[in-house]
Amino acid sequence: MEKKQLLPSLDRSIDEIRRISGGSSDVLINRFVTGGIHCALLCCEGMVSTSVITELIFEPITEIPPQKNAQGLFHYINEELLLSTDRPQAEDYDTLFRLLNSGFAVLIAEGMTCGLAFGVQGYNTRGVQEPSGEGNIMGAHEGFTETIRTNMSQIRRRMKSPELVMELFIKGEKSSTDLCLCYMKDRVPEALMEKIRSSLEGIELEAILTTGYIRPFVENGSFELFSSTGTTERPDVLCSKLIEGRAAILVDGVPYAVIIPRLFCESFQTLDDYAYKPYYATFIRWLKYAAFLTAVLLPAFYAAIVMYHPELLNSTLFMLLVEAEKKAPLSIVTESLFALLMYEMIREAGVWLPKPTGGAVSIISGLIIGDAAVNSGLVSTPLLTMTALAVLGGLVVPELEPQITVLRLGFLIAGGVLGLFGISLLACAVLVNICATEDYGFPYTAPISPFRARGMGDTAVRNGIKKLQSRGFTVEEYHE
Amino acid sequence: MNSLSKNQLCALLLITDMFGLCCMRGSISAATLWGVLGGTALQFLFALAFAVQNRELSKTAEVFFLLYALFCGGAVFSELWRTSGVIYIPYESGHGIWGRLLTAGLVAAVCLYISSTGMKSAGRAAVIAAAVGIFCLAVDLASAVVNADWQNLWRPERRSTAAELIRGFAVSGGLGSFAVFLGEVRGDRVQTAVRYFTAKAVISAAVLLTALAVAGGIMPMTEFPVITAAQLSQPFEAQRIDSLFLVVFSVFAVFSAALQVMTGAFLLRRISPSFRRWKSTAVIVLTIAAALLMQGRELLLLRAAAAAAALLTAAFSGKKISAENISG
Repeated sequence: MEKKQLLPSLDRSIDEIRRISGGSSDVLINRFVTGGIHCALLCCEGMVSTSVITELIFEPITEIPPQKNAQGLFHYINEELLLSTDRPQAEDYDTLFRLLNSGFAVLIAEGMTCGLAFGVQGYNTRGVQEPSGEGNIMGAHEGFTETIRTNMSQIRRRMKSPELVMELFIKGEKSSTDLCLCYMKDRVPEALMEKIRSSLEGIELEAILTTGYIRPFVENGSFELFSSTGTTERPDVLCSKLIEGRAAILVDGVPYAVIIPRLFCESFQTLDDYAYKPYYATFIRWLKYAAFLTAVLLPAFYAAIVMYHPELLNSTLFMLLVEAEKKAPLSIVTESLFALLMYEMIREAGVWLPKPTGGAVSIISGLIIGDAAVNSGLVSTPLLTMTALAVLGGLVVPELEPQITVLRLGFLIAGGVLGLFGISLLACAVLVNICATEDYGFPYTAPISPFRARGMGDTAVRNGIKKLQSRGFTVEEYHE
Repeated sequence: MNSLSKNQLCALLLITDMFGLCCMRGSISAATLWGVLGGTALQFLFALAFAVQNRELSKTAEVFFLLYALFCGGAVFSELWRTSGVIYIPYESGHGIWGRLLTAGLVAAVCLYISSTGMKSAGRAAVIAAAVGIFCLAVDLASAVVNADWQNLWRPERRSTAAELIRGFAVSGGLGSFAVFLGEVRGDRVQTAVRYFTAKAVISAAVLLTALAVAGGIMPMTEFPVITAAQLSQPFEAQRIDSLFLVVFSVFAVFSAALQVMTGAFLLRRISPSFRRWKSTAVIVLTIAAALLMQGRELLLLRAAAAAAALLTAAFSGKKISAENISG
């Protein structure tokens, strides 16, 4: 948009506003005279609270005594009326429209080349609710919302330290989306923050509608299977990451925060781990590691072992599988691919359909199609069991679901074609890819490789809180 | 820029040595163990001389190490083909040269990818692979202890001590990479050498001792004693686990080949800085060509001579690095 300065003539300025907005119906222009000066209060319908405007702006403004000129009027409003706590000035039409579209009311007057804005936001927002994707049993039940300022307040409520810095800035040529960079200034090196800011400066998008729009700008550019940045919809989780010396980005309109950097081991950690006894938390953590490996490798191992390495099975199990697979008309790999792709389709259908219909789809797919496929002999029961176990394993680590889905299919094909040798080759390539993943010099695989013994206390096991508190950990320890 | 840690270089080198150990051919005896340990000790002395002197490789030495990397890489592929009869790789056994080329092509593709991600990520991955590999080998070999006959340790030697020493010296595919990458390691070069050769000696001794105790009785009939020992060691009565060994073996093969490819590509870039784009591919192609030339021969004498030449070249050629270069 044009960075044109506000025109001093009120009529011409209003004409200019109408021209820029294309006569949009939601731009409201209220002309009035106060203090003997012709003024106009501009606002965007639906973005402001009518009652707040009436009570806090119109009523006091209309009672202003006569002023010499517009400068005097603005001075009086600024110095004596204090109409709202948030009062930025608009020097140009670009800023004016950004403020209008953010729920500000802007006062312009005859003879003035700037406008006074008042924060009177009153648009409808979703309230603070329990996060839908990050379940929690013993922690807080509050999640981020779509309003950036509410999210900022949620973080501030939990972190009252003055070291917590929140830098608001705007990105998106058309959307003018508010972004907020959060970090603890005593925990994150300034050099790292400079690098992050410089990466964010590279954003030249027209609109930022979700976190996925900005993540590529703060991630390493090379091909990475796993993301070196993470997201969370929980303010408490975000605060724990900030304390560990990470940075976060909030995006207005998105109930998720981007965390920089993210480590592989963090996908297996939840805030509940710290609410349980260490032995149980350690058990749960290892259960998740096992579930991840099961989710990725089980169908591939099943196909490879049954097709090429049956000596790995004991005789009873071998006979059982032979009996089951004998009846199936398709090869094991085709059967597995069929079962996995069916599951993916059912899942997609369940996600995008309205909830009641989604539930019905799950029932029809699970009970009717699954049962019919087994009874008709199209898919063997052991294979379906393996597929179900693998899928279940993937649900234990929901954050890695996209990677698990793709890797599971990849490993299945490798195992089906080349047996354990194929699985090993692909495992090498995937392992190297994971190890190559890093963000701003933070290796994704830390503290496993590069090995950091201190980090293993919250990776291989979960040490007691007293022990964890004494280690004074920040993610900077992993920097290479 | 120093981009590898001590553990990462050690892991890369140990994987190569373990792969060589797994592919060791012919009967082994207690003398083999002493030969390998003696060979390792000799290598350590030369390596120490290289590490202490802080020498940088000369241009001639770089060309030599490039050829040595191609030779060692060729040996890795050659050994992979030789062992494929014992370690079951689908499609390879029944398809002759095409099966072999398919296997080599797949391994080469993974090596090319590993090489393209850089030394740092390969080093990180090698640490995990080595840890998992050592764990799996330990499980495999510890279960072998149950089936072991320790009397086999005193079976008569079939080769002379000198021959075993040469054989022990030849099991060292990573020496060239050690000399080339030692300068890229963060921290003390001597400490790196000590750590690597100590770990190599310990692991070699453990593997050979167990292999000897388990497969000693059928040694005249076995071609690959370490693989046979792994196949004979079954911890469960009703279930075999030797395919686990195949996984470890394949991972070791890939990282061994990748190390040689990375060494070759690294040297190629230093020798000819303008040759950047296809350097890894060129090294892989030449490595496979070298493997085809070897025709599955073990070439023990040549390998031992090349290893000795590599250590001598590293220790006594090139110029000393200044202190600031070492710390940087």
